[in-house]
Amino acid sequence: MAHHAVNPPATGASLTIPARLWQQLHAHLFPGDHAAHGAVLLAGWTDGPRGLRLLARELIPARDHIDYQPGTTGYHALSAAFVRDNILRARDEHLAYIPVHNHGGTTRVQFSPTDLASHERGYPTLTQISDTPICGLVLTPQAAAGDLWHPDGTRTDLAEVVIPANNLLRLRPQPTAPSASDTSHASYDRQVRIFGDLGQRTFQAMRVAVIGLGGVGNLITEYLARLGIGHLILVDDDLVDETNLPRLSGATASDVGHPKTALASRLARQAQPTITITSLTERVEQTHVQAELRQCDWLFLAADGAAARHFTNAAVQQYLIPATQAGVKIPVRDGTVGQIHAVTRLLLPGTGCLWCDGLINPTDLAIDMHAPADRAAAHYVPGTPAASVLPLNALAAAEAVSHFMHAVSCLHDDDLDHAGVLHRPRTRTRDLINSRTHPDCRWCAPQKQFALGDRPTTNVASS
Amino acid sequence: MTTHPATTAPIATALTELRAHFGADAVTITPDGSGGVYVVISDLPVGPAYTQARTWLGFQISAAHPDADIYPHYTGALTRTDGQPHGQAIQHVTWQGRPGEQALQISRRSNHRDPAVDTPINKAVRILAWLTTQ
Ligand SMILES: [Zn+2]
Ligand SMILES: [Zn+2]
Repeated sequence: MAHHAVNPPATGASLTIPARLWQQLHAHLFPGDHAAHGAVLLAGWTDGPRGLRLLARELIPARDHIDYQPGTTGYHALSAAFVRDNILRARDEHLAYIPVHNHGGTTRVQFSPTDLASHERGYPTLTQISDTPICGLVLTPQAAAGDLWHPDGTRTDLAEVVIPANNLLRLRPQPTAPSASDTSHASYDRQVRIFGDLGQRTFQAMRVAVIGLGGVGNLITEYLARLGIGHLILVDDDLVDETNLPRLSGATASDVGHPKTALASRLARQAQPTITITSLTERVEQTHVQAELRQCDWLFLAADGAAARHFTNAAVQQYLIPATQAGVKIPVRDGTVGQIHAVTRLLLPGTGCLWCDGLINPTDLAIDMHAPADRAAAHYVPGTPAASVLPLNALAAAEAVSHFMHAVSCLHDDDLDHAGVLHRPRTRTRDLINSRTHPDCRWCAPQKQFALGDRPTTNVASS
Repeated sequence: MTTHPATTAPIATALTELRAHFGADAVTITPDGSGGVYVVISDLPVGPAYTQARTWLGFQISAAHPDADIYPHYTGALTRTDGQPHGQAIQHVTWQGRPGEQALQISRRSNHRDPAVDTPINKAVRILAWLTTQ
């Protein structure tokens, strides 16, 4: 079982490395020989909640003794040909160029004077060639330091490297010091005993969205607020209906006819009076709602619609934001109840994709994107209301938030497991479900939208 | 030719293909308010099955293009020359792309949809061919 120090989110520029790339990079840099190895990451970028986010898209390992070799000063360096090839790719594809090497040690790392001198010699010219950010990166298995140069000549330290895997890893130059004074409220004493002071501070620093505030999303909102998440983004355009009342925690008859966001906001504030809430009584396809999702550290998808699925999946793949989908399916045909499913599905960038799993229907997506009147007319076979009951919603909601809190506080045994969980209450069984990825998926495949961030799609060389 | 505000690159490509096929003057574009467009292609022949000789064909290319299907399609009001009602894939509606008039809604899903094949232009041509043979 790997043990990871929990680091609360740091303010400043960051680099996010998807689990799949991290696994490859880790194997390349740390094969067990304690020698120096090098690589280049090409990355998209976007503005995040705490600063610029570089989004690693592709790993190009440098071959030992060919692309990465002892230089004139005796230290290892990337060969001129390897640098040239990749800085030209960064320029042509408008991606950030990130040369990486490893140092000895485990939980602390810093650049050597030789490293910094070589950055100062080389990076001003490289940023002029690529016209994109350049970020020198040095890693140990549990620490990272970065030296970020912009085309305008400014230079900053990278605040953290984020790896959205089964554990949400945050690597920094050294572990965050536990605060001398007790920063968390006394009321969190029992859960600080699980997550630690740093875990609790991490919850407080996070921005988390809940998309869909029906039976499942309402409970997820309450669980997150009670956990101590500092900022919730609540998204649902729907109003509370009388038939929703038995499944909405905290709801009364006076909520009928009012937005589900108003109920969820009230519930969250009752749980945590100082919480920050962004309430969006709108559909996910509105562009400013998508912009809010991109400012989050984690997304919970608790809406059934194809558009909600599509745009959440897009934020996961293009902006490298981890998400959890949670839902319940109760098939009833002619009064006969079929197999009941309570599902939570982990959507990690590049390793869990709703298109690849066949969970978005293109025609349903077309209908969902219509104006409300057209949408109603396009469903010319009227649907019947789905069966629903609170304890089944609670099963999915609790599984989803339980996974999240283990991930954030790095308590999962396996960093790279990305299975979803399927409960079948009628047979009292619980299975793990692994998602597939297609090599030519427009969203999660390496050469497509994946990790592009804000870069316009028109620049994609392969399309 | 109607000018349109900046849309996504895939939508721009689809509009270029539609204008090249039907003629720029025949293609009217209106923003749908969510990053997509309503497209209306005017003055298309519909064959002898209908009392009207020509009509328009409309559809939405949403912000989810090319991931979303183009569905459904709309035409102006048509009556059959044989006096029979339309088949079950055709309904009378009003449509936001042309809210001031009666329209027909044509519901033809693309099963096993391939975004490279089921483009807005290819599907418009297929819908027109289907309509004339009903
Ligand atoms: Zn070094
Ligand atoms: Zn995919």
